[in-house]
Amino acid sequence: MANMVNLKIDGKEIKAPEGTNLIDAAELGGIHIPNLCYLKGLKGIGACRLCLVEIEGMKAPMIACTTRVKEGMVVNTKTEKVQEVRKFVIDLILSMHPLDCMTCTKAGACSLQNYAYDFEIKESSFTRKKFGFSIDEANPFIKRDPDYCVLCGRCVRVCKDQGTNVLEFMGRGVGSKVATAADKPLHESECTFCGSCVDVCPVNALLEADRWRKGREWDYDKVNSVCLLCGNGCDITVSTKDGQIMKINAGAAEGSPERYICAYGRFGFDCIEADNRVTAPMKRVNGELKETTWKDAIETIANALKKAGQNAGFITTAGILNEDALTLKKFASDAVKTKNVDTTASLYGDADTLISGSADLDSADLFVLVDLNPSQWKRVLPAIDAVIRRRVNAGAKLIVINSSEPKIASVATVNLIENEAEALMSLTKALLDKGLPGDKKLASDVSSATVSEAVDKAATLYMEAKNPVILSSPAMYQAAANISLLKGVTVSVPVESNAKGVVMMGLTTEGKSYKEMASGGLNLLYAIGEVPLNKRPNVDFLVVQTSHLTELAKQADIVLPSAAYLEIDGTVVDYLGRLKHVCKAVEPAGDAKSHREIFADIAKAMGTEIKEAKESETKKFTEVKVKASVAPFARKEGFDVKVDEMIESINASVINGSRLLWLKEAAVCA
Amino acid sequence: MTEAKEKKTEDIKKEAEEKNCTVQKALYYVSEFLSGPMCGRCFPCALGSYEAKVRLQRIAEGKAADADLIVLRNIADNMLEASMCKKGKDTARFILEWLGTDAYKEHIEGKCIAHECMALLEFKVIPEKCVMCGLCLDACRYSAIIGEKKKRFQLGYLPYEIRMARCVKCGDCVKVCPTEAIVIVDIKEKTVQTVQTV
Repeated sequence: MANMVNLKIDGKEIKAPEGTNLIDAAELGGIHIPNLCYLKGLKGIGACRLCLVEIEGMKAPMIACTTRVKEGMVVNTKTEKVQEVRKFVIDLILSMHPLDCMTCTKAGACSLQNYAYDFEIKESSFTRKKFGFSIDEANPFIKRDPDYCVLCGRCVRVCKDQGTNVLEFMGRGVGSKVATAADKPLHESECTFCGSCVDVCPVNALLEADRWRKGREWDYDKVNSVCLLCGNGCDITVSTKDGQIMKINAGAAEGSPERYICAYGRFGFDCIEADNRVTAPMKRVNGELKETTWKDAIETIANALKKAGQNAGFITTAGILNEDALTLKKFASDAVKTKNVDTTASLYGDADTLISGSADLDSADLFVLVDLNPSQWKRVLPAIDAVIRRRVNAGAKLIVINSSEPKIASVATVNLIENEAEALMSLTKALLDKGLPGDKKLASDVSSATVSEAVDKAATLYMEAKNPVILSSPAMYQAAANISLLKGVTVSVPVESNAKGVVMMGLTTEGKSYKEMASGGLNLLYAIGEVPLNKRPNVDFLVVQTSHLTELAKQADIVLPSAAYLEIDGTVVDYLGRLKHVCKAVEPAGDAKSHREIFADIAKAMGTEIKEAKESETKKFTEVKVKASVAPFARKEGFDVKVDEMIESINASVINGSRLLWLKEAAVCA
Repeated sequence: MTEAKEKKTEDIKKEAEEKNCTVQKALYYVSEFLSGPMCGRCFPCALGSYEAKVRLQRIAEGKAADADLIVLRNIADNMLEASMCKKGKDTARFILEWLGTDAYKEHIEGKCIAHECMALLEFKVIPEKCVMCGLCLDACRYSAIIGEKKKRFQLGYLPYEIRMARCVKCGDCVKVCPTEAIVIVDIKEKTVQTVQTV
């Protein structure tokens, strides 16, 4: 914990950590200092001059966003002098801002509106200025209306900070605007439609494209949840109105580098109401899928499962929640009495390679990226890409170890573009040579490695770093973890959101593996979620339990409607090993039920009573200690998946069922 | 990039001081500042100086009221207080330096004593002095002068007149008139002022 500093703001005693600026310090004491251009987590730029405060002992007012707290400081945020300046600035901005608060979507959540209210400005006392800029609404995600822009520059800075770097100011002062390169519309720029700019815009200049007449901030019920579409498992805030999702925003704490979600997470929610949603159980009658009742479907499955017995198998995605996974485990072993349960996590990892340590990315000052290719542009683990770029902009270092050159290598301090196992080995040797204490076995393992100049530089960086974090693909995890035996932590990054969770719940290959089951030969195959399978394997009976009518579901004998993401409560374990709560935002569509409820119902029909797993039950499974031991420097065999293809495949119905399809059709992002 | 070198605030100040009318001084300074050294990084200066220019233009055109002077003072005071750097503060100081002069009040009444605010002035031919020589007729590029060049020993010619709708107040006619028959007058007062070349 940093040293605490005592200061007085508006007569209130406040304790703030050393190095905090006055805006954040005041926030700790519940005092809001007006600002438009300040962005928590980034350095203040002092452009809007709204945060002027008077500090005792100083002649002129100071800007709070760039002033750090000092012991014994006495700050007044509401003196007559600074209030007048604030009123003056708001008045000026208001003179060039449309005054249509009565129909403006941002009403209630608009900083300008709030400040105008605070300073009692009915209308601007200055000359009205109108610019008539063209509106950019050619894409289905983000609408840009420069007429509303207050030129605070938050969007420009957030875009630069996360490395997308699309927005920039055009011109200066009155009449300037925020534009892309050559003032092209967003879809012709490098924009990834992550919508970070929408989150930070204080007014109506940047908004979700479909928000018109869909309710305003005060109409919404808000739920904090987790996005389940890829291995990042980002925090999201879901806004709903009348049982419908209206928008999703990034949910991580303000100022945290993890406050980022990609276009999938922000705009993929349309798929919940897609045409191909399964809302009732379906059964194959005379070669065609017909809707049926839950009772009939469950009885049919119960009988089929009884008949198949040992020869039944369950495959599931690793995107299901911990509670579902644990119930499935009990269901398979207690009711069906089979060991054939496996998840798609087995395609890229197992218990040894997936369960890893945890890391604090906020304080990490060195990232080592092993065999990972995160990309915001391809939406492959985009949040990792954004976090690393943000941290690098804040002064952290990056070492990339990869046999091919990933896009993020352009911001790396050291690139080791060679065989990962060999690079890790020589890096370990270099670290041992530099005097890090390690065990004898490790030293003898790496004795044959050669240390190149680049590796030596990387080792020097690693030695200097206070909190080095190694992010690795599961296949390389054990090799990479050898380094964290010396120093730092290694985190294995899975492809799916709850891969760590399902493995902790015990869904690892015990009987037949996922690959074996997916290639056929079972009497009964029970597929859960959107498994990356398009063709029915050679099985006698196929049950597909899914939220959308996938290609596989169309070939099934029975399709059971399950609740989609955002429709269920539960927990997941994200890539950093944190237990996260997934909260239900809307009711399941039609007759859809959660996975765990369906398993319990079928078990009951089979004559075995199993209980749906509860959060208290799953929690103890997630408290796993990571064993640290020396492992061979080699890629673990059998875990070769193409991460980008897999992410697209497991999210096929999300992408095809929502406006994200436009991205594919327009193919705007290379 | 082969852009013209940006003007410095000191140069702008020097050039502005050369003007006689104090409103024109401030207007020139603010206009040049906006198109030149203004960086646009802080709101009070970027937005404030633009608004100040709008108000100064109104004053120079005689469309202003007392309220404009109050607003202008308010802008300058706040810019001086809140601008990020010296450039903004200097602009505010320059506006304040001349804001107190009588000329501002006179402009609101519709007079520009220094004869630099063209919107407040018009050109007029004094009939008694006009010899109908036709020099101004040739000099006027906008065909704003009505009249016929006098031929010797013939009668029936009328003194020239200036059509205000066409006149751009360039002052070319004044320079060529041999008898100083063209004068600048205040629109409001319609009284003849001392003649000055513009």
